[in-house]
Formats: sequence, structure tokens, C-alpha cells
Amino acid sequence: MSDSSEREERPAGLHAEEIDEAEQVVGERAEEMALGEKERAGARGRRALTTAAWTAPGAVWLLFFLLAPVMMIVLVSFWTRTVSGFESVWTLENYEFLFDSNVYWEQLWNSFWHSLVIVALSLLLGFPVAYFLAICVTSLRFQIALFIIALAPFWTSYLIRAVAWIPMMGRQGALNTALQELGLISEPLDILLFSDFAVTVAMLQLYILFMVAPIFFMLAQIDRSSLEAARDLGANAFKTFREVVLPQSMPGIVIGSIFVFILTMGEFATVRIIGGGTVSSVGTIVQTQVASVQFPQAAASAVFLVLAMILGVFVLLRFSNLREDL
Amino acid sequence: MPGRWTKRILAVYFVLFLLFLYGPMIVMAALSFQGPQGTVTFPMRGLGFHWWNELVSGSRADTIRETAIRSLQLSIVSGLVVAVLAFTLSMSYRRRFRLDGVLFYLVMLALMTPGILLSLGTSFFWRFMDQQTSLWQTALGTNVVWGLPFAFLIMVAVWNRYDSTVEEASRDLGASGFRTFREVTLPLVWTGLLGAFLFGFTLAWNEYDRTALLAAGKNTLPLEIFALTVGSVIRPDLYALGTATTAVSLIGVGLFLLAAAIVLRRRAQTTGDVREEYGDVETSGGLAAGVPGSHTP
Amino acid sequence: MPDEQTLTQREGASTAPSPAAAGTGLELKSLTKRFGEDVLAVDDVNLHIAHGEYVVLLGPSGCGKTTTLRMIGGHEEPTSGDILLDGQSLLGLTPDKRPTTTVFQHFALFPHRTVRENVEFGPKMHGISRAERREKAMSALDMVGLRALADRRPSALSGGQQQRVALARVLVMEPKALLLDEPLGDLDRLLRLRMRVELRALQRQLGLMFIHVTHDQEEALSVGDRIVVMHDGRIEQVADPFTISNLPANVQVASFMGDNNIFEGTVTATEGDRVSIDGGDAELRALVPGADAAVGQPAVVSVRAAAVQVGAQDASANGPNQLLGEIEVIEYLGDLVKLHLAAGGRRLVAKVSGDRYPEFQGKEGESVRLSWKEEDVRLLRA
Repeated sequence: MSDSSEREERPAGLHAEEIDEAEQVVGERAEEMALGEKERAGARGRRALTTAAWTAPGAVWLLFFLLAPVMMIVLVSFWTRTVSGFESVWTLENYEFLFDSNVYWEQLWNSFWHSLVIVALSLLLGFPVAYFLAICVTSLRFQIALFIIALAPFWTSYLIRAVAWIPMMGRQGALNTALQELGLISEPLDILLFSDFAVTVAMLQLYILFMVAPIFFMLAQIDRSSLEAARDLGANAFKTFREVVLPQSMPGIVIGSIFVFILTMGEFATVRIIGGGTVSSVGTIVQTQVASVQFPQAAASAVFLVLAMILGVFVLLRFSNLREDL
Repeated sequence: MPGRWTKRILAVYFVLFLLFLYGPMIVMAALSFQGPQGTVTFPMRGLGFHWWNELVSGSRADTIRETAIRSLQLSIVSGLVVAVLAFTLSMSYRRRFRLDGVLFYLVMLALMTPGILLSLGTSFFWRFMDQQTSLWQTALGTNVVWGLPFAFLIMVAVWNRYDSTVEEASRDLGASGFRTFREVTLPLVWTGLLGAFLFGFTLAWNEYDRTALLAAGKNTLPLEIFALTVGSVIRPDLYALGTATTAVSLIGVGLFLLAAAIVLRRRAQTTGDVREEYGDVETSGGLAAGVPGSHTP
Repeated sequence: MPDEQTLTQREGASTAPSPAAAGTGLELKSLTKRFGEDVLAVDDVNLHIAHGEYVVLLGPSGCGKTTTLRMIGGHEEPTSGDILLDGQSLLGLTPDKRPTTTVFQHFALFPHRTVRENVEFGPKMHGISRAERREKAMSALDMVGLRALADRRPSALSGGQQQRVALARVLVMEPKALLLDEPLGDLDRLLRLRMRVELRALQRQLGLMFIHVTHDQEEALSVGDRIVVMHDGRIEQVADPFTISNLPANVQVASFMGDNNIFEGTVTATEGDRVSIDGGDAELRALVPGADAAVGQPAVVSVRAAAVQVGAQDASANGPNQLLGEIEVIEYLGDLVKLHLAAGGRRLVAKVSGDRYPEFQGKEGESVRLSWKEEDVRLLRA
């Protein structure tokens, strides 16, 4: 073989123009189909009507039972309290009251941080579960079965699960009894129930599935052969995880974090039962105000709750493009 | 691909995770089977169906039965409405119109809004319109809003996997739009609809936040349970109740799995099965082999 | 006429260019892979591949070609046997530690990274500095003609472009052996035809060892220096394309390569180099120097479709290597005409020049006289 640099005018490589040309021939059909779709879309009148017909029932329902309520909360927070509820007289007294109340801000701040902690914990504890299900389990059937088994508690009443926490974590509960039997502790641990720790654990148990599910979905979509390709190109197991798996699971992490954050911020029933009145949160405050018919006040409290949540969600959304990744 | 040890450790972790999730419910179920000496917590005192009896025929039994029936009715209706709305919304979403992004986020908003806010807001809204909140208006409305996003996501996923050219084929063969829907589309997506219904049902069955302020005195089961927990002494019959309601939920999930499994098995006939039944095209003398007048080996 | 005996005994003429790497090459020794209890995917495979060779593993699905390739790449571990590259065993080495890289069938690009980042991935894993790996990536992209698309995501690229990214990604690694797992399978036909020519040219320019897995016979003939035909986990024949095509070793190879007419029968007579076979309704005589066939032995022979001569039906269709057949389907393929015939209960294929199409046009159902030379009757191993 003679010296290749003498024979060739161009360096080693593919003939890109010819390849592109060969591909053009195929591409045409795709173009035609796209044009056909556009044409059908262009039949505006009738098409738009059908779409509207399909959208209407759901949209109306959501309008009445989602949008209207949320807007009402904002409105009522600016209205005055009456004996029977509220009247549409504009006032800022609700917010004044709120700004004066230290307890409220403290509670809001606490709830905010508490939620962030729970988000972080659920991520740390939940990611391995999602990873196991999506990547370690190879049979699709098993994947789905185990996923449903893990998810089943979601379909049970969270109230009941919260109630069941008492016999589990109480002074004479299962965990304390077991620990004592095993000789690990000599006296029952009090902090297991009716404390911040207990609340955290209880909420984790209730909401961690909201972190596991989205991450699972994202991980399940990862092309296995791209993991092999990464190994092939020199990445060890850890680097493969960091460079290929983790980035692709980000949308799931973001969605999961948003869900968990919102749910923990807004809850109250759990706290009431598990915290036993010693632990309070914004949600509890809203409930007590409502019970004593202080609607505008409750609304104002709720609005700040909403704002705090939106802030959190905003921050989280900066990390991902939700719609595209789904 | 993770190594063998990684897989094992993660498997153990998964089991621990399941215990963590199911722990309280198992404990509760166990405690519901105590004898008359049974109390709210360990140790187990006696064994028997005493508290289950108490649940069914004790002092609070009537209220409980009433609320249970009410819950059942509300949940079934909620499930049906959710399935219908999820279906219609997903059909509209399929068509990719200009505002479909707005629609999507609106539905997601339903998922992300805390229940207490919806209850509060809805009660305000109804008050504002001088209407009374009631089980079948407001409570139903809000429960549907809760279940809708999940059901919507399921239907969207179903449509994604659906090959709409089968509809074209059906029209091509002479079926009208309606018949195509009934004969081709519906059989292929009914599992999604079942999932939507089940979501609507179980979520309403268990829902507390959204029903709390809106049922106007007519308690659903979760509301009743809350009242029992906070208001009075907790006895093991509550555990029996809790176990029973959980069982209903899990049965619902189980039914769905069963239906899905049946459908998947029917569709999962592999090429290997077909080859066993009919042989290879090559060995059986080709496609023309069955035509009268052609040669066969 | 090439010396038939010499050709069948050698593994075929290697037309490989001067190799880029020095060394003894790749050696597969008694390589076996068993999945679980009952699936024997690869059965005692022995093969040597020199640097600079373009070798194709060819066979139907399930024949073990992909599993063999994956074992070379380290994505499967053999049950027994050894894999040596330049004298060093690769067993136990994970893929990231092997000097081989793989092009995957569905490209396996990283969807969350741009084209350039995809190509830079390998160097990044090997600790190459940012400036240097950027430079390497861009020159690899130049090689495949995709410099302009360097900052796009894979999802924005066409199939052919994605495949070129996959190529660039492995070329930048300068591996000792490039493994290709059905690389053209996801591409449309015209593109496939174009790309296989490009792959061939590229390989010769680079002088790299290419190991290419495919089930497409034509593709294999087109690109390979040597073809390894596999069936049921075993190697059936290793030879250059000409030999595989004209002198298939046994029934599996002959029938898989297609366009071979296969006759089964018994040996009726042997006269020196001539072997007569009774195939039931057909009588054949093969000219096989050095064959040791005994009368009464079962035998299988094949006749290439291109070797079948087609003429008008006339009275004489007696004697060996002749048959009357009825035209069932006529395929006009431009340069040639494929005639699918039914003769005495079997189906035969004949290929004639495309110029002769007017002769046969519209003659489906008519009978013709088929004949072939005894040199073209190939005696196959059982």
C-alpha cells in the first residue's frame, strides 16, 4: 500500500454530501405526511369545534372547582369578616393582623424549612428505590408488579396510616417493644411519637412515593444501551451514574421535589394526630381559624401559604423544563 | 449496568423500604384482632374478632355503616366522573391545539394544589354564590379535581402508546366513526379507563382534606375517622375500621392489576408461539403453498 | 479458474490494507457462552483476526454473532474459553478497561448531551484535558462530516446523522478494534447502501480492525475482507466473500447465503473426480476433485442460481444436471432477472442477464429447460 497522504487530496473521512443525498430520498415521505397533517389542521372550523367539545366538560369542571376556589381565597383575604362569614368590603386588616402575628411567620418559616428537609430526605431515601426498580430489575413484569406493590399504600387513607403510627411508634408501640426485646434500649424512646422527629418520619412515609414515582418514570426511559456505551467509552460504574443516569433523572427529581414540597407545606391532619398538639404548622393554623369562622383571616393565611409554595416551586422549576421532558 | 453486589444491597434496601411503608398498617391490622382486653397499643391482649364485631354491631356501628355507604356512593360516582373527564380531556389533548400547554398545566395545577386550599376556596365560592355546600355538589366536585390529574396522565400515556393508524384502517374497511370507536378504539384503551376510574374511586374513598369543609355535616368515612380520632377515645374497633377501609383500597388496586395482566397475556403471544402453531413460512412451501394447483414438497 | 482446493482450504485471500496497529491481533479460543441451563448461545468458537482486517460475523438471528461480539467488547462474560488481544487476555476486564469500542445498533447516543459532548465523552473519561478533547472531538466530527452540527442534540438529528455521531464517538478513542453491532440496521435502504460503502472506505483509510455483525448477506459480501458465517452458536465457514458465495462449505451456509439451489440425495456412482447423485426427481453429477464419496452415502449439493442456464423447453431433458421447470414468478431487477421455478416438486431459482427479460416476459406458467455444468455442482458437507 502506498503512502496514503500522497494518494488522497482529502483526509480520511466519510463523503458527507453523498450520505446526506441518500438520506434525502427517504426524508421526502416524512415531509409529505407532515404537510398532510397541516392540511387537516387547516380545516379550521369543524376541527376547532370538535376540540372545543372535547375540552369543554373538563375545563368547565376545573373552572368551577379549581380556578374559582383559588381566586376566591385571594379575594376573601381582602374582604371583611362578618358574623356569618364575610362580606365584599375591601380591607387590609387581615394582612395587618398577619404581619403583626409573630407566631404565624414563625410557623410559616418552620413549615418552609421543614418541607425542604423532607424533600431532601425523600430524595436521598427514595432515589435508591426508584433506581432499584427501574434499572436493577430487568424483567418488565417484575418492574411493574414491584412498582405497584410499592405504590399501593398511596391508595390507602393517609389518615389511617397516620393513626396507625401510634401503635407503631408509641411508648408501648411495636418499634419500642422490638427495640427493647432486642436489648438495644432499656427504656422506651419518647421522641418516636409526639415530636418533630415523629412528624418528619410520618410525613416521609406518607409522601416519599411522590418522589419515587416520577424518578422511576424517568429512569425507566433511559436507553440501556447508552449505559453500555458509557462503560464502553471508559466510564466506570460511578461515572456512568454521574454522567448518564443522574442527568436524565433530573426531571423526575424536580417533579418529585415539587410534589413533596407542596404536599408537606399544606398538610395539617397528620400533624394534629402525630404531633398531638405539641407541634403546629401553617396548615394547622389555617384550620383553627376556619373552625372559629374567621374566614377572611383564614384566607389571608392561606394566601401566604400559597405564595410560599409558589416561591419554592419557582426555585425548583428553574432546574428543569417540565413539559418537554414528560 | 450495576454490579451484583449493588443489586443485592439495593434489593435489601427495597425490602426495608416496603416494611417502612406497610409497617403501620400491618401493626394496625394485627391489633384489630385482639380480644376484649385489647387496647390501642402493644402488647397484644387476647386474640379474636371482638373488635370486628364491635365495628359491625357496636355503639358506633350505625353511624359507621351510614358513612361507609355514603363514602362508597360518593367514591363510585367520583370514579365515573373522573374517568369520563379524563377521557374527554385526553382526547382533546391528543389533538394538539394551540392552548394545549395551558390545559396541561391547568390539570397539573389540580394535582399540586393542597386539599385544604381547595376546600377553603370552594366553601368561600359557594358562600359567595349564596349556595350551601353539600356532599353531592361541592364534595364531589373537589374530589374529582383531586383524582383527575392522575387519571389524565394515565390516559395520556395510553394514547401515546396507541397507534392511531388502526383507526384509519377501520375507516378504510367501512366502519363509521362511531363504530370505529366502539369496535377498535375502546377495546384497546379500556384498561386506561379502568385505571382512571380506580384512581377516582380510591382517591375519593380516602380523601379527607378536600371533603372536610364541604360535606356540610354529612360525613364520609375519612371524616368520621378523623372525628373519632380527635374527638374521642381510640379503641381497636377503629383499627378494624382502618384495616377494612385499607382492604377495600387494596382490592381495588388488585382488580386493576388483574385486568391489566389478563389483557397483557392475551396480547403477548410471541412469534415463537405462532411458529409452533403454524410453522415457518419457509418450510411450509411458501405463501403459495396453500393455493390449490401449486406444488407442494 | 482458481484452484478450488487451495481456496477451500485457506481461509481466503485477505485484501486488508496495512494495519494501523501492530501486534498479533485478536484471538478467540474455544469461546463458549451459555445462558442459564439450556441456552447455548456460543459454542466453542475459534477465530483469529489480524489488525487492519474487516471481518464480518454473519448469520440468522440467534446464531450467536451478537453474543460473540459482546464478549469481545466485554458486555458479556464467556462461560469458558479465552479472548486475547495482542497476546493479552481480555477476560475479566470490564468494557471501560478494554481497548475496544462498540457502535450500537440503535446508536445509544446520550440524549442529554450535545453531539460534541457525546464525542468528547470517551476522552473525558480517560482524563484528557478539556482543550485537547475538544480538538479531538472536532477532528472526529470532521471525519464524519458533522462539524456543523456539533452543538445540536441527538434528537434533532436524522438517523444517518446519529449514526455518524456514534461513529465519531468511537473513532475518537482510537481503539485497537472497532466493534459494530448491526450498525446499519436502523437505516433506510438507500442510506444503508451508501453507508456500507463509506464504512468500507473509512476502514481502509484508517487501517483499523473492524468486526461487524449483520444478518444481511449482501452487506457482508460488500464490506468484509473475510466473512464468518455462524449458525446455532458455531462457526460454519470462514472465508473471503468470493469463496463464501461460490464455494459454500455446507447446507447452512449455502441456504443462508440465498440464491442457492439445494438438492438432497444419495451417491449412485463415483468415477474419478465425478460423483453422481440421485436426488429423487433430479439426477446430478458433480465434478469434485479430491472428493471421497462412497456409493450409497447421502449427499447434499448446491447449484448457484447464476449457474443455472435457462432455455426453451425441448424434448431432451434427460441426463444429469438437467431439469424441466415451470416459471412461477419472474423478478426483473434491472441488471438481472430472477426466475422462480417449480421443478418436480421443488422450488428453484435461476438468474439470467437483465437483457433477456423480453424472452421471459409474460411467460409465467410456461415450462423451460434448466441445465448447469458439472463444475458448478458443489458438494456440501452434511
